[in-house]
Order: sequence, then structure tokens, then C-alpha cells
Amino acid sequence: MQIKPLHKKMIMTPVCIIIMVCASFAQTVLKGHVTGPDSQPVVGANVKLKDASSGTTTDVNGNFNIIYAKPVTLVITAIGFKSREVSITNETNIKIELLENITELNDVVVTAIGVKREKRLLTYSTQELKSEELIRAKEPNLINAMDGKVSGVQITSSSGTAGASARIVVRGAISANGNNEALFVVDGVPIDNSETGNIAGGAAGAGSSRLIDIDPNTIESVNVLKGAAATALYGSRGASGAVLITTKSGTANKKAAITFSSDFSFEKPLLPERQTIYGQGTTGIFYNGEDKKTSQSWGPRMDTLIINGKKAPTYDPYSYFRTGTTTNNTLSIGGGNNNSTYFISYSYFNQQGISPKNDFKRHSFFTKYSTNISKNFTTTFQLGYSNSKQDRLPEGASNGPLFVILVQPVSWNPYPVLNPDGSQRLYRFSRNAPLWTLDNISNTAIVNRFLPVTTFNYTATKWLTITERIGADIYTEQDKYTENPSAAIDLKGQIKDQDVNYRQFNHDLIVNASKTFGKFDLNMLLGNNYNSIYTQSTNLTGTGLVVNNFYNVSAGSTLTGSEGHSSQRKIGFYAQANMEYNKFLILSLTGRYDGSSVLYQQKQFYPYGSVAGGVIFSHFLPESVTQVLNFGKVRLSYATVGNDAVGPYSLQTPYILAGRNTNAGYFPFPFQGQPGFLLSSNLGNPYLQNEKLKEFETGLELKFFDNRISFEGSYFNRKSLNGIIPGIQISNTTGYGGTTVNSASIRNKGIELLLTGVPVRSKDFNWDVTVNFTRIRNKVLEINDEKGITQLGRVIKGQPYNIFYGVRYKRNASGQMLIDDSGLPVVDSEQGIVGDANPDWTGGITNTLRYKQFALSFFFDVKMHGDVQNDVESVAFFYGTAKVTANRAPIVVSGVNETTGKPNTIAVDAQTYYQSRQYESSIQDGTYVKLRNVSLSYQLSPSVVKRTPFKNASFTLTGRNLWIYSPHFTGADPEVSSYGSANGNQGIYAFSTPTSRSINLSLKLGF
Amino acid sequence: MKKISIYVLVILILTSSCKKVLDVNKDPNNPTDVQEALLLSPIELSVSDQVYAGNASIIVQNFMQTITANQPNPGIWSYQLFNTDFDGDWYNFYVNVLNNLNILNKKAEAGGRYNYAGISKILTAYTLGTATDMWGDIAYSKAFKGSDDFTPAYDKQEDIYKTVQSLLDNGIADINKNSITKPAGDDYFYQGDMTKWKKLAYTLKARYYMHLTKAPGYTAAQQADLALTALSNGMQSNDDDFKFAYSGAAGSENTINLTFSAVSTYILNDTYVEGFKSRNDPRLAKIVKPAKATGLYTGRKVGDPLGDLSKYSYPTDFYAGASSPNYIVNYSEALFIKAEATFIKSGASAAQPVYQDGVKSNLTKLGVASADVNSYLAARGTLTQANAIRLIMEEKSLANFFNIENFTDWRRTGYPAITKVNGALSDIPRRLLYPQSEILTNNQPQLSAKLTDRLWWDVQ
Repeated sequence: MQIKPLHKKMIMTPVCIIIMVCASFAQTVLKGHVTGPDSQPVVGANVKLKDASSGTTTDVNGNFNIIYAKPVTLVITAIGFKSREVSITNETNIKIELLENITELNDVVVTAIGVKREKRLLTYSTQELKSEELIRAKEPNLINAMDGKVSGVQITSSSGTAGASARIVVRGAISANGNNEALFVVDGVPIDNSETGNIAGGAAGAGSSRLIDIDPNTIESVNVLKGAAATALYGSRGASGAVLITTKSGTANKKAAITFSSDFSFEKPLLPERQTIYGQGTTGIFYNGEDKKTSQSWGPRMDTLIINGKKAPTYDPYSYFRTGTTTNNTLSIGGGNNNSTYFISYSYFNQQGISPKNDFKRHSFFTKYSTNISKNFTTTFQLGYSNSKQDRLPEGASNGPLFVILVQPVSWNPYPVLNPDGSQRLYRFSRNAPLWTLDNISNTAIVNRFLPVTTFNYTATKWLTITERIGADIYTEQDKYTENPSAAIDLKGQIKDQDVNYRQFNHDLIVNASKTFGKFDLNMLLGNNYNSIYTQSTNLTGTGLVVNNFYNVSAGSTLTGSEGHSSQRKIGFYAQANMEYNKFLILSLTGRYDGSSVLYQQKQFYPYGSVAGGVIFSHFLPESVTQVLNFGKVRLSYATVGNDAVGPYSLQTPYILAGRNTNAGYFPFPFQGQPGFLLSSNLGNPYLQNEKLKEFETGLELKFFDNRISFEGSYFNRKSLNGIIPGIQISNTTGYGGTTVNSASIRNKGIELLLTGVPVRSKDFNWDVTVNFTRIRNKVLEINDEKGITQLGRVIKGQPYNIFYGVRYKRNASGQMLIDDSGLPVVDSEQGIVGDANPDWTGGITNTLRYKQFALSFFFDVKMHGDVQNDVESVAFFYGTAKVTANRAPIVVSGVNETTGKPNTIAVDAQTYYQSRQYESSIQDGTYVKLRNVSLSYQLSPSVVKRTPFKNASFTLTGRNLWIYSPHFTGADPEVSSYGSANGNQGIYAFSTPTSRSINLSLKLGF
Repeated sequence: MKKISIYVLVILILTSSCKKVLDVNKDPNNPTDVQEALLLSPIELSVSDQVYAGNASIIVQNFMQTITANQPNPGIWSYQLFNTDFDGDWYNFYVNVLNNLNILNKKAEAGGRYNYAGISKILTAYTLGTATDMWGDIAYSKAFKGSDDFTPAYDKQEDIYKTVQSLLDNGIADINKNSITKPAGDDYFYQGDMTKWKKLAYTLKARYYMHLTKAPGYTAAQQADLALTALSNGMQSNDDDFKFAYSGAAGSENTINLTFSAVSTYILNDTYVEGFKSRNDPRLAKIVKPAKATGLYTGRKVGDPLGDLSKYSYPTDFYAGASSPNYIVNYSEALFIKAEATFIKSGASAAQPVYQDGVKSNLTKLGVASADVNSYLAARGTLTQANAIRLIMEEKSLANFFNIENFTDWRRTGYPAITKVNGALSDIPRRLLYPQSEILTNNQPQLSAKLTDRLWWDVQ
């Protein structure tokens, strides 16, 4: 219907046609219009006369003119569509509809520096996720939305706290101490994804990963660049992989399309199972918690307990949690005319967490406007703005509520919260009452963030384009922590107020030349990058609060403050050459030369690059084979990447403001009126150089049965060298605690597989399956051989990255536990390795079924092995609340007597046994299978929609975490890292907000 | 093409100015140099917080059964210790205190500010003396060289002792130079009263001479002579006490006060509390608080089932209030050193008045009425050849609350007598373990020492 006016426009130019007809005798001018199946114009389609060398392309309106002389066949090809041949004899007007090529539709992907390339010609592994799939996950944070879907990528959320951080590691950790998380790039501009929202000495637990400021609804697609060959152009910052986010744009020549979507969900906490049979007390004796206090639940059976002649009531400690709710409303408008396009989006996300006083709210605005300034000059301006606010309480084994709630006796009634004198009513010592903390502790982080990007594109000639892209990431963060005085834990109250200013500027100038020489397609790229990051933070702390209910630092009797600035800059020059011969042989070379301000001045600049090749071998196969095997490619690459993985100012050894660390907090000088400085405990290393990553990758890509089955497999072997270890521990007798060295080496080897299939494809019913599999083996090759250093906390030479190290039991040569004469296992006087947080393999399987207007999608993911340190369980052993402690019969520990060597027969009572459990017994196998997501949606059929004011409408019902199978883990969800996304926190489950199961209802309307 | 050449030009300009653009790595947050007074204050705070009353000191108080935690066995109270338990102490001693003292001394000597140099040497001697009594052989002569020596070899304990004495001598010599610049408020201990610093130095000399009464190649009589000579210039009254005053404001609480927090569950040990009762000691109520819930003086016995915190005794505000001072070296100790040395040289009756002065000085400080002082002294009896060391050491340890000297004296003399706790994993420790950080970074032959091993001077 829309096409008619366009036709009219065409006829408006008869003069032109006449001239052409006159000029070329016996030739006919064909005016054509190419559309997709949705009647939308196809821009940039190639239109050629068969067997002719020249042709034309369609304009922004999908129109083309071509001159022909005799009956001929027209060949129309366009990316994402099946090519089509049309015979013409003497037509002057033609309308051509192209059919979408389902498997090739996704086949143009964004690669490093924002360069779009055909996936079939890539010489390295990438994996793309589309908007639909990201939105289906119903996660506020893009990182979580990607969880389990991308091979070679491991994602771990820190906790179930609304707004909590998540960690993303691509192809295994390569840096001993530095940032191992992937770089995030929005439309070509890197953005910050650090974990913030924590004030030192404030609320314990995980902050937010700053990617949470990006509204997933504004994302068109995400492409994960995994290996060094893929990210070499990004240089240093892409050494740990890169996630390229492409935001949505408006469509040219389209009336404003308005989309409104609304989500509502309920969340139920996933809580660890516990014993509820026994009440508070010890050795079976009841403690009422009022005048007899203890933290333990080794009391009597509740069903036999009589208080004041009545059967004692049981209280559910988990009643502390609530049903979480989330609403997410998004409104977007997109469209364009023949010169410009626009897209505007606003959303409001509001999550009330399952823990009281935990919520996350986000307003996000996003606008993008593209226009052709002149025929060869286009520009795009976009601006993202978000305002995020997170409230939460301390987590972990801290002064927060969860440490008490998860192990509270069932005989304790938590109400009333206060004693008549206004003090906390407590059943135990040394901790705050959970309900008291709700009114007396708070932690808020507010972030206002701007993400502007401006891109200029100048097409100098047909084969040469110049792109200038300037972008920034600017945010301010306001953090506030307040804690009222608590006699229960001897703290006098404090208020912390912190402001952080973050500014990152990024510029890229890219010159791109593409030319075809016979059977050679050549693409050259030259570029320059400049990146600067500046942060400033000011922190004020008032301790010893003297004014009630007044939350300003001035309420503190001791006031301390600090300021910090940090600045780092990077300059890079890069080049890339891609050569294709006859569309089956591909050679790709990249090189980059980087300079970084944080390194030794004489060695600030460092070069690196990659070489890669690919052969589309299906080109040589006979047609009988290619009818089955439609596409086959092998690829091979080798790359080195340099990295400056160290913060600024690591070269010097300055004096640092002194401070006093007490169990009540950290108090910087002045102390009792006297100022003071001490020499930095970190010995500066003036000769710091860049670290290196070397990676070999090979891959195989296959497509079968009309592209209905496709397979992609990669093997990689990557090794970091000269790894920078900031603050590596050195003998304190040198006078220093640590220094920064260039010595670490970590190797990661792995296999990534991705299989997609369409078992059923018919008019009414479609079934798609995607399976991914990842297996990574990592090993720490060196920490610092020169100084003989082989261990850095959880990183030990010769071991996988992030093992668990600590107190363990003594065993004999055959591995049997040694038992002492009291029947208890003997504790080894030396600590050792007790577990490994790395999984054997991970995988995921997504099924999508479409029947007429219905679509059902469900997604399972699996993690095989990988240990978890379950601190909740080890504390629950001691307190007698762990599920296993429901059985209180004496225990004969299996093992042999330490002195006699005979099998142990001595029984030990359950309380003694569980209360003497050591670190080793908190390590559990974290294997899980999760039904992470089930989504059922219904799209109103066009015939029904016609009778409504809408263009389209759909309803979706989504369930998250509906089923978790974790046979060896006694907590609820083994997939957490309670203390945040930092390297050393991985695999620790410790009194963080439980994750949740949720049901989400959503409605999407198009106008 | 013109456009391209413009861009190329831009790139060239950028390249040439790159070096300048990258020149932003100068730390705006921290100074590159500071004057002596700014170093002295935090060093003195660390001496009080970390050397005198830090984690290692708390562990020693567990060994000496002064305190214990309301926690089940095994734990540090039943001698379950790991090398990692001492990482923090070693760091505090070497990085926070000794290295900064080393820098302070160099700076002060170079600037001719000898009072600072003298104080720095005296504090170095005190810190080294404390460290060597915990760990034996430790690094000093090869230490503090930064990247020039990443793995400093340890000095023998005997050499550390020689170093301690010479540091004290040189410290006294520096002060005797009467340099004009004196510390003031930056000296929390003596506010720049250099006479008192000298008295402290002499008292410390006496202390470290007496540590070697059993040491191989040394005789008790020689050491007693040296100590008595030093003490003639040592502390003369309670006013000379080397103590750190805490204001008690938020963040300025006394360290011992912070140790007995509801979270640490530290309380007084049964052995310590019962000692007051058996001696009928008038200091009981001065030092020990009755339990909140019962009003009784009750310590906790290691290995007993977990109790109710409100039914145990805590120390009073004399030693453990938020604004109590830390008595690092006190006059009473000087008197007891003199009593012991006098006993060694001249026998029990000569030592008797000195011993009684020691007891009196402590009781007076605690505010015990003079009648009670006299009746207590009478009840304790007179020194004899047989009981002198026991009585002197018992009284010395009471005047040295929370002081690691008690552990040294117990190792030297066997007093105050203690027996190993219920559920002990070994005999009572006679030293501390070297830290795990040294095992990981500086593998010296001494590091395998066990808790029950004896130090060089601790001859059986």
C-alpha cells in the first residue's frame, strides 16, 4: 500500500526517461522497486543483468534504474535475502519481492572498531545475540541476559540483590590480579563496566556492574568477540574479549512506529534448606533467647518443647523475605524519511528486591538521529542518559541482616524488634537483630550517566570511506551509607558520603578502502584511537553519631575526609587488511601500535597484531555434496595483544596519608589532632612494561541441509606473558608489602561449540534449537620465578586459576581421613588446596517452538563441577541449623585412627562433630542444571489486529529459574559470588541476598 | 585525495604530540616527601596499636591465660595457629613501623634533627626487641633495601640483641646532642620531653639485658650488673611511664578496649581472674569487672562449653576503657627488673624493698587505698631464696597487663606459672610462628620453626 506514492513519484520524471530512451537506441530503461516480504524497501540490493559485468544498487527507497537491450535475466542479490532471478523482455516498470534468507539474515556482524563484516568471511570466532533473545531473559543487566548463551563465556552474578553486579569472563582468566572481564563497547565507543556503589568500610557485599545503566530494550544486537584475533584492533582493552553492543536505529522512509511494552514480575527467593526440628540452645538444653542467649540451635526438639505449659510455637526465620516485584515500562518511537532516521526510547525499571530495603530503579532515555548532510556525508548523533538508584543492606558475614536470618533459631520470635528501653531485642550476642537493621542501616548508590556518541561518515569515493567517531562516558555517582549506633556490636554509628566523577573520552578516526581487483576483494583500514579516563572521588565520613535520626556527616563526632584523582590516557594506531580471493580464500592481517600513560616512560609504546586465514572449502566440493553440506569453512589465526593492565601511578613510591584500622572502621589521619603520613607500602616499579597475550585459534564452520543445521567449533590456546601483577606480595622485610612486577603467565586452552538446528520448518510450525558447549582448561604457569613467588592468595603456580586454599584435614598416603582418639578428623597443621572453582565444562540449550501465533521458548544451562565455598553451610554446621544437623545421632567418621591405623570406630556426638568442622568441609561441588528461562508468547493475528488501534500486539509469560538441580550443593543456587565480581571472590557463597525464581508478564503494543 | 592528506597530517601531528599527551602519570593524591613530624605521629600510633597491642600480643595473652574467647576448641586459645595468623603482625612491624622508622632516622640525621633521630632509634630498638622475643632470628641488617634485596637473610637473635643495645646507646647519644628541634604534639608519648625519652631508653636497656639471663654465653650476674647500671638512669616514677593516651572518641579508642568487643567475644580468662581471688588481691575490683548478669567475678576456662557473654568478666576501664592509655613500658616494670637484678646480685633481702616498691607503685597507680596496700604486701610475705623469682614475676606480670614481657618472663623463669589448657593441641607455645607471607616470599631456613620450639635465649 505504501508503495503507490513512490510509483507516482517515479512517473513524475518522464523527461529523464525520454532522454535516456533517445540516447540509447533499442534500449529500454527499467525502473524497479525491490522490497522484502514485509513490503519494506530493500536498500543497497545489487541488481545486475545476468552475464554482464556492471550493475546497479537500489537507493534508500529500494528503487533502481537499469538499461537493457534484449530479453535478459535480472539477478537481484541483497544481504539477508535469497537472491532472485527475474526474466524481463520489454518491461519498463517492475516490482520485485525478495524472500528473507533466514540463516543468512544474521550474517553481517559488527566487528572490532564497529566495522561491519559478513560472518562467512570472518577468520575468528564471534557469537551474536539478537534483541529478542536479550529481552526474553527479563534481566535488567545485559550481562545476566547473556548468561549461558554464549560459548566460551562465563557469567556469574554476584547475588540476588536488585541491581547486583555480574562478572563476564571470555575464554578464561588471563590476568593474575588485573581485570579479567570483557570490554563493553556501545556503537564503537568503549564504556565503563566496573563494579561501583561500594564505599570502603560501608555496606559489605557486591555493588553494581555499571553496564546496568544500559537499557536492554535499546539494544539491537550484541556480538561477542572472543579471541585475540577478533579483538586485536581494540588493543589492550580488548585483551579479555569484547562485547559489542549495537543500539537500535530508526528505519528510513518509515512513518513513526511507536512501541510500548510493559512488564510485571513477581520474584520468590531461593533459600537454602535448613533444619526446623530443633530449637535454640546447646547440648539439647533450651535457651529462650530472652534471658539465656546463644547463637546456636543445638537445643531440644520443638515438638517436645513446652513453654509455660503450652507447646512452643515455631517461627519461620525466612518470613523476613518478601515477594519481590519488578515493573518495566518502555516506550519507543522510531522512523525516518529519505534523508534521516530517528529512534527515541524511554524506560522505567523498578525492582523491589526479595530482601526488604533492597530496590533498584532506573530511568533510561535513549535517542539516536542520523542524517545525510550531503550526498556523501552522513552523521549520527546519539545520547543515552540514565538515572539509576540502588538501595541495599550489607550482605555477607557482616553487620547486615542475612548472617543472622539464615541461621536464626526457629524457636525465636523476632517480634517485638525492640526492648521496652529502646535497645535491640536479641536472641544472641555480637550481631544486630535483622529487623533492627531495616530501620537503622542503609546504603544508597545513585548514578547519573551520559553516553553520547557522534559519528561522521564521509564517502570520499566509491571505494573509500572516512569515519570519525567521538564518544564519551560520563557519570557521577553519589553513594551514601548510614549506620546507627549499635551497642550489640559495639559500634558507635557512622555516615559515609561519597561522590565519584567518571569521565571517559574516546575518539576513532578510521579510513576504510574497499576495492575489487578481478577475483580479489581487498579491504584496508587505517585508524587512530585516543582514549582518556579520569576519575575523581571525594569521601566524607562522620563516625560516632551524636544526633538521632539525622543522616548528615555532621552528626558524627569524628569527621574524616579524603579525595582521590586518577587519570590515564592511551593512544593507538591501527591497520587492518582483509583479502578475499574469489570468495573462498580469506587472509586477514591486523596491527596496532599503542601508547599508554601508565607505563615506564621509555617503553610507553608497544606494537602487536594478528594474522588469520580462512578457506571456504565447500567451494571445491561437488554439487552433490554441497546440496547437503551447503557451507564449510576452516579458519586459523594467531594473534598477540599488548595490555597495560595496571592503574595509574604504579611507578612511584609516594607517602600516603596514614590511617588507623580498628574493628570500628578505618580512620584516616589527623589522629587526635596530629596529621600524619607513612611511606607507601607498595614499592613503585619505575620500569613497568606492557603485558602480552598470545593466542592461537582454529575453527570449523559447517552448514547442512539448506542451512537448517549449522555448526561452529573453535579451539583456542591463549597464554599471557609478562603479566602485570599490581601489588604482588614481597617479603615485608624489604620494608614494603608489595610491588608491581611484569612476570605472570597464565594459559587457557579450550573448545567452544555452537550448534543450531531447525528440526521443523513449516508454514504454521517452526522449531529452532541452539546448543552451546564450552570447555576451558586453565593453568597458572608463572607468578614470579625470579623472586620465587608461587602463590598469590587463590592463584598458585601449576594450578588452575582461582583454587580454594585453606585449612584441611590430614589424610594418609592412600587418601583416608585420619581420625583422633576422640573420633574427630585430625586437622592438618599445614594449609593446602581443597577445591577448584573452575567448571569442567558448561553448556546451554535453547528451544524455540512457534505454532501460528504462539511461541514457546525454553532454555536450560549446565555447569559441570567447579567448586563453591559454601560459607552459609559452614556457619550453619556450627549453629546447628544446616539441613544435615536434623540428624543428631552420634557420628562415626569414616577414616582410620591416626595412631593405630585401624578403621575408626569411635563415635562423636553430632554437635561436637559439626562445631569442629574446618574450612575444607565448606567446599562443595557446584554442578548445576538450570531451567533458566521459559517464555510463552502470543502474537495477535493480523486479522484481529486490524480491528484494534494497534499495528501489532503480543503477550508474553516468562518464568525464570523455574528449576535448579544442584545435587552436591546444599545452598539454593550455586551460581553466585557473594562478595562481587572481583577475581578473588569467585565461587564464594556467603550470606548474600538469595537469587530468585520469577514469573513475568509482559505486553507489547505497536502503534 | 586532498582530504586524505589532511587526515594523514592530523595523524602525524597527533603522533608527535603523543608523548606529551601521555605524560599524566604523576600522582596527584600523595606527596613525594614529608617532614619528620608527619612521620612520627603515625609511627607512634602504630607502635602502640600494632607492636604493643596488636594481633600477636592478643595471641600471647591467650597463651598466658589472661584472656580467652567465648569460642569452642580448637582455636588460638588451645594453640591452634597457622603461619597465616601472623602475616598482619609481620607486615605491621616491618612495613608500617620499622621501615618508616628507618626513613625517619635517615631524614632526621641528614637534617641534623637529632631528637627525631634519637626517638627513631629508641622506637626501633623497642620494636626489634618485641619482634625478636616473638620470632627469634629476624631480618634487620639486610632489611629495608626495597628492590635491592627482595629476600633479606635473617640476623641471629644474639645479633639482634646487640643491635637493640647499640640502637639505644646511639639514641641516647643523639638526644645528648641537644639539637634545637624537638617534637611537640606529634610525639604522643612524651610531647617532646627528651629527658623522659632517655629514661625510657635506659629502662629498655635494662629490660633487654635481663632477657639474656639464661642465654648461652651470658651469665645472670653480668646481665644483672648491666641492668642495674642502666636503671640508675631509667624511669624514676609513674610519671615516666611510656604510655599512649587515647582520647576515646570514635576512631580513637584504646586498642585493648577494642579487643574486648562483642564481636571478638574476648573475655578474661579463668586463670587470670581466679589468681586475684587466691591472692586476695585488692586489685580484683580495680582490674576486673563483675559479670553483668551475675555480679560475680568469673573468667572463662578454655575448653568449657560456650557460655553466656553476660556471665563473664571483662577488664575495667583502668586498662580497657575507650580512653585508657596503653602502658607500654611502665615504672613498675623498671622496679621489678631492679628487684630481679638485685636478687641475682645481692639476694632476697636486698631485693625485698625494691620488690615492695614495685608492688606499691602499681597499686598506687590503680588507686588502691594505702591500708589495703600494706595488708596485701604483708599477706604476700617476704622474699626468700626459694620464692623470690616467683613473687617478683607474679607481681611484675600483674603490673604488666597485656604486655608481651609476661610471655618472655614466663619463658625465662617459669612464672607466673601456667598449665596447658583443656583440649590443648600441644604444650604451651614458647614462640610465635613465622608468617606465611615470608614462607611465600623469602624462604629463609628459620621459617619451619614450631610453636613449641625455643628461642636462642630460652635455654632449657
